[in-house]
Amino acid sequence: MALSARAIEEIRSLPPRFPHLRSAVPPALDIAQEELGRLTPEAMTEVAEALGLDPGYVEGVATFYTLLHTQPLGRHHLYVCTNLSCTLRGAEEICHHLRRLIGVKEEREISADGLFSYEEVECLGACEYAPMLRCDGRYYYDVTPQKLEALIQGWRQEAGNGD
Amino acid sequence: MATEVPAFSPHVPSTELRGSGGLTPPGPVLTRFFGTPGLYTLAVYRDHGGYRSLERALKEMTPQEVHAQVKASGLRGRGGAGFPTGTKWGFVPADVPGPRYVVVNFDEAEPGTTKDRYLVENCPHQLLEGACIAAYAVGAHQVWIYIRGEYDHPYRILLEAIEEARQQGILGERPFGVDYPLDIQLYRGHGAYICGEETGLLESLEGKRPQPRSRPPFPAVKGAWGRPTLMNNVETLSTLPWIVEHGGQAYHALGTDRSGGTRMLSVSGDVRRPGVYEIPIGVTFRHVIMELAGGPPPGRQVKVFWPGGSSAPVLPASMLDVSTDLDELARVGSMGGSGGVIVADDSRCVVKAAARLLRFYAHESCGKCTPCRVGTDWAVRTYRRILDGEGSSADLQILDRIQASLQNGRCLCGLGDSGGWVIMSTMRHFRPEYEAHALRRQCVTGECERQGAADA
Ligand SMILES: Cc1cc2nc3c(=O)[nH]c(=O)nc-3n(C[C@H](O)[C@H](O)[C@H](O)COP(=O)(O)O)c2cc1C
Ligand code: SF4
Repeated sequence: MALSARAIEEIRSLPPRFPHLRSAVPPALDIAQEELGRLTPEAMTEVAEALGLDPGYVEGVATFYTLLHTQPLGRHHLYVCTNLSCTLRGAEEICHHLRRLIGVKEEREISADGLFSYEEVECLGACEYAPMLRCDGRYYYDVTPQKLEALIQGWRQEAGNGD
Repeated sequence: MATEVPAFSPHVPSTELRGSGGLTPPGPVLTRFFGTPGLYTLAVYRDHGGYRSLERALKEMTPQEVHAQVKASGLRGRGGAGFPTGTKWGFVPADVPGPRYVVVNFDEAEPGTTKDRYLVENCPHQLLEGACIAAYAVGAHQVWIYIRGEYDHPYRILLEAIEEARQQGILGERPFGVDYPLDIQLYRGHGAYICGEETGLLESLEGKRPQPRSRPPFPAVKGAWGRPTLMNNVETLSTLPWIVEHGGQAYHALGTDRSGGTRMLSVSGDVRRPGVYEIPIGVTFRHVIMELAGGPPPGRQVKVFWPGGSSAPVLPASMLDVSTDLDELARVGSMGGSGGVIVADDSRCVVKAAARLLRFYAHESCGKCTPCRVGTDWAVRTYRRILDGEGSSADLQILDRIQASLQNGRCLCGLGDSGGWVIMSTMRHFRPEYEAHALRRQCVTGECERQGAADA
């Protein structure tokens, strides 16, 4: 998969915003991931070329971070916090329930309809609302099996009606 | 999967606020106006005296005078290390020509810590004002806020707040008509705990793999992009407007002799009212956990608590009367850390909790130093054996050896020590629980059996 001309353009416009060129790498990877859903090897090479950097360097940065993905994910990827505060309030049960709901056996496996995948993550900084999860740029607080079910149902309906 | 940030959505007020904005009265300093509708807007913030401290600093005070107030305040860094803020400011050299930066540490990834998000969601301008005051004091014109990538909502709030401040001319060429240009930029993280460590953060900000640097040189001298850099935590900086308004002495008087002022504690885990509370430093953890946060669920007792994030050595319930004073905490073998108070009640297995935290440190180890990379992984495997009922006395010795090898300067950054402290402190206070698990295959709380039964 290759990046659009518009994305490349946008990436090329990043460096002047920073005192040094390399600071543009993570935001450039954001642009690529937003467009393609994940960072393919070609995309990382294109990012590197657009910034005039070595592809190996860009890949080295990309693979360090949990929010940058080289593997495909479901359309709604749920980041479920399982650190101590959330575990004390039922995160394990939430993960168990979630796997059943979307029909996957493990983290990062994509549901049959392509809509969902999930990942257990470290503390997301909202422990007073534990258990919590993040999805599509939003936090969901005080998650219960019932709320989770409603959330998943909602997304399924949206997908059924939408496209 | 695109975690794209939609074009400006209307502010979703964080009024499900827990803690000092909602359930308890606002605190004396940082949260004094929390609960006021629209406090996140520039207009409401200014109605409450917002930006008057910055104006006053720029117009009526020299940088040295601002610095002197901060020294007098006794303020100590709220990011984890508790280093005196005034002293740190003094490390930024006065005479180096060229750019210099203030970097705001808004990575907030220490388990159990949520206060910076709470402060920013409710009152972003308080942080912006504080960061500008700090910039003026150390002779910087450019502020960079490094915000963890998962904080989408706080990111939008800050974007909006910065935009408002630019439109009003508070940020720009001549804030309040004074010839002291000020600008603030945001930089988003991408998910890595090590980016909260100051030099890991700088590497990340520079677009590199965020592996900590060896020090010296310290960031004050050679920080972001090789320039002199002051780095402070969100809460530390948010305190400055109050200090400039009321004076360092007044702030100091709110806390204890050695730890001035108030601080934010995020209380989570087995309590009835988890939340973020502003406390005068010096109250006891009994007050925080039993009164503010409502104590453990009905019928349960507090068993253990982490007083300052998962990296702060644990304290047993018998030490609930310990003060929140930083030096007191150090005296009893722990630390104030990030103010993330995690409480576990008597139904919880300490070995299991420690195992979970070691998984965290192993996952987040950047891999640069061998004791940390190998030691945390080894600890995870050892804990697994113990929890799977395959432990032995050798495993307890292994844990003991790992914790020692992680501590005392054997690692480049504090992450290694933190993993070691979890092992050390839980073994110190709950040795019989470890022995029951490792030697007799018993969980004294029964939690692990219940869990096993549920998984089967
Ligand atoms: C592994 C590790 C993670 C850290 N994470 C954070 C963090 O998320 N936020 C923060 O402000 N400080 C964090 N710190 C502390 C910073 O290194 C630094 O001391 C702090 O930002 C300085 O600001 P202060 O003096 O205002 O506390 C971390 C330290 C370590 C060793
Ligand atoms: S102590 Fe661990 S996290 Fe810190 S620099 Fe060394 S390997 Fe990296």
